[in-house]
Amino acid sequence: MQSKMKESDPILEVKNLSASTDNLPILKGVSLTVYPGEIHAIMGRNGCGKSTLSKIIAGHPSYNITNGDIKFLGKNINSLEPEERSQSGIFLGFQYPIEIPGVSNLEFLRVSTNARRKFLNKEELDTFDFEELVKEKLEIVKMDQAFLSRSVNQGFSGGEKKRNEILQMALLEPKIAILDETDSGLDIDALRIVASGIKRISNAQTGIILITHYQRLLDEIKPNYVHVMSDGQIIKTGESDLALELEKKGYEWTDNFIKET
Amino acid sequence: MEIIEKIKTNKSIDNQTEIQKICLDKLQSSPLPNPRSEQWRLSNKSKLSNFLEYSVNENNENNSKFEIPYPKNTQSTIRLIIGENCQIKLIEKNYSIQKLSEGELQKYIKEQMSFFNQNENWSDLLNLFLSCKNNILGLKINGSKIPPIEIFSHASSNSLNAKTLIIFLEKNCNVELLQVNLGEDNSSLSQSTFFCLEENSSLNHGVVSYGVNKSNLLNSLNVIQQKNSEYNLGSLHFKFNYARFEIRIKQSEGNAKTNIKGMQITKKDEQISTYTKIDFDGPNGFLDQINKSLADDKSHAIFEGSIIVPKIAQKTDASQLSRNLLLSNRAQIDTKPQLEIIADDVKCKHGATISQLNEEELFYMRTRGITLTEASKLQLSSYFQEIISFIPVSKDRWDLLDKILNEN
Repeated sequence: MQSKMKESDPILEVKNLSASTDNLPILKGVSLTVYPGEIHAIMGRNGCGKSTLSKIIAGHPSYNITNGDIKFLGKNINSLEPEERSQSGIFLGFQYPIEIPGVSNLEFLRVSTNARRKFLNKEELDTFDFEELVKEKLEIVKMDQAFLSRSVNQGFSGGEKKRNEILQMALLEPKIAILDETDSGLDIDALRIVASGIKRISNAQTGIILITHYQRLLDEIKPNYVHVMSDGQIIKTGESDLALELEKKGYEWTDNFIKET
Repeated sequence: MEIIEKIKTNKSIDNQTEIQKICLDKLQSSPLPNPRSEQWRLSNKSKLSNFLEYSVNENNENNSKFEIPYPKNTQSTIRLIIGENCQIKLIEKNYSIQKLSEGELQKYIKEQMSFFNQNENWSDLLNLFLSCKNNILGLKINGSKIPPIEIFSHASSNSLNAKTLIIFLEKNCNVELLQVNLGEDNSSLSQSTFFCLEENSSLNHGVVSYGVNKSNLLNSLNVIQQKNSEYNLGSLHFKFNYARFEIRIKQSEGNAKTNIKGMQITKKDEQISTYTKIDFDGPNGFLDQINKSLADDKSHAIFEGSIIVPKIAQKTDASQLSRNLLLSNRAQIDTKPQLEIIADDVKCKHGATISQLNEEELFYMRTRGITLTEASKLQLSSYFQEIISFIPVSKDRWDLLDKILNEN
């Protein structure tokens, strides 16, 4: 399915990627290709390497790539710093967004947005212009302006933190967004707000990778492809009905694929 | 060390005052602090020797060149420079600021010296021995709606400068005061400060000390708080080859409040230390203290704090926290917050943490396109902010945060 001919070049190509931390292998030959307009879901048990894959694509310094390549818009980014990857259009939505006490959310968002705009040769925004822009984007995730004056994620509820992630995604306008368990800890209403935000931001030129345990996010955002990960490998790839089957049969069902592989 | 030789040989300084004679006498029994004592065991001996190497600048010879660096806008602030002729006598409708008379100064210093302990107050003894009349500024302040006050001490290059500040805050008086200690290249500044806060008075006190290449500082602060007084101290020491900040606060009758937020930043091979001793000599005393250290390169930061709660100090509520950030594998931080409690009905706590820059926070910021340098600055800025925002008077105009961040 991943090999079928596409009309445009891929946004992201992960080829036979192996990675370790503290000499412990975590990823063992992952391959994944995302074309513009595609939504991919990655599912799997806890500890199977889903979040690690997302962090490695984003450039986390604690992991070493021991084999394979990550190509973004045709260029190998294995040695790029996390900020360079972000500026060029890779966005990672965190499972547990980090609190940064003492750093105002507004200033944080402005500095981030300007870093991306600079890369895109767009004019950097002063505080006044940025406030105008951010007000527009707040509407996408139905956030109150009061969030802007608080410290980054500090004192935010789980749902507010996730909405703040999607707000950042809206401001940074990435080419590819990897959303790590964005649905975890969200009630039904918050899930709908977040899902609708993701749908509004994504378009035919962007790619999305959703990392999730549950079907409920995929009910809101229908993926083109579903990948099942186990022990640092993608053991099965299918279309959106694979997630439904997984929901019915549980991960034990996928153990058979491991035996087969 | 010329000074120590002078002390040892009892070589008198010209026009020695009675105070100087008493100090010389006390110093002769031990010209240098005991390196094995708790207060001095971690102090870098060669750096202390370097402090004492310079000749004493008794006549403020180079001070004519001294210009307060910035900010220029001082309209609403009273500015004084210790060592320059501070003939201040301000008597306004709501307040008055007057110089203490020679007699009042002598009486107060002598009284203080009777409580001195050789090791604990060695810095004060040295200061008072070296400080000539011109370099002692004594003020008596009373009233309300007093404009903010800035007081500067300055050490000029290739010399040791001793400056002394004594301030009486009379009853019901509220003051905001920023003390700025500046060291030039290859200089040593000995600064001793004595405050007496009378009943119902309050002082928001900022101490900002920074040097340049090879500046040294011995900064000693002694505060006596009478009942219902409030003393708030925000302090910042950085860019010294060697600096010691000694804080001694006595709540003489209890029922007083003390808040301290201090920070020291060390880089290269600098050593900066803070020693605090808070004595509760009466009931219902309150203390909230946080001391932060940040050590980079192969520098050394030290914090030792002690809280003394004798039996008379029932219902004391005291907290002391030392938070430290180690930015390099070769840097060193020593911290020792401690409590000495005899009273049985008190609420006292203390603690210490040493950590590095939070890597997950840094990664989070970097995934938002913020460079490692900028992300570190943002994180440091949040670390500094708590302290900087507590320094009164000119914290905005002095752009302290920018100054520190650009130098880190």
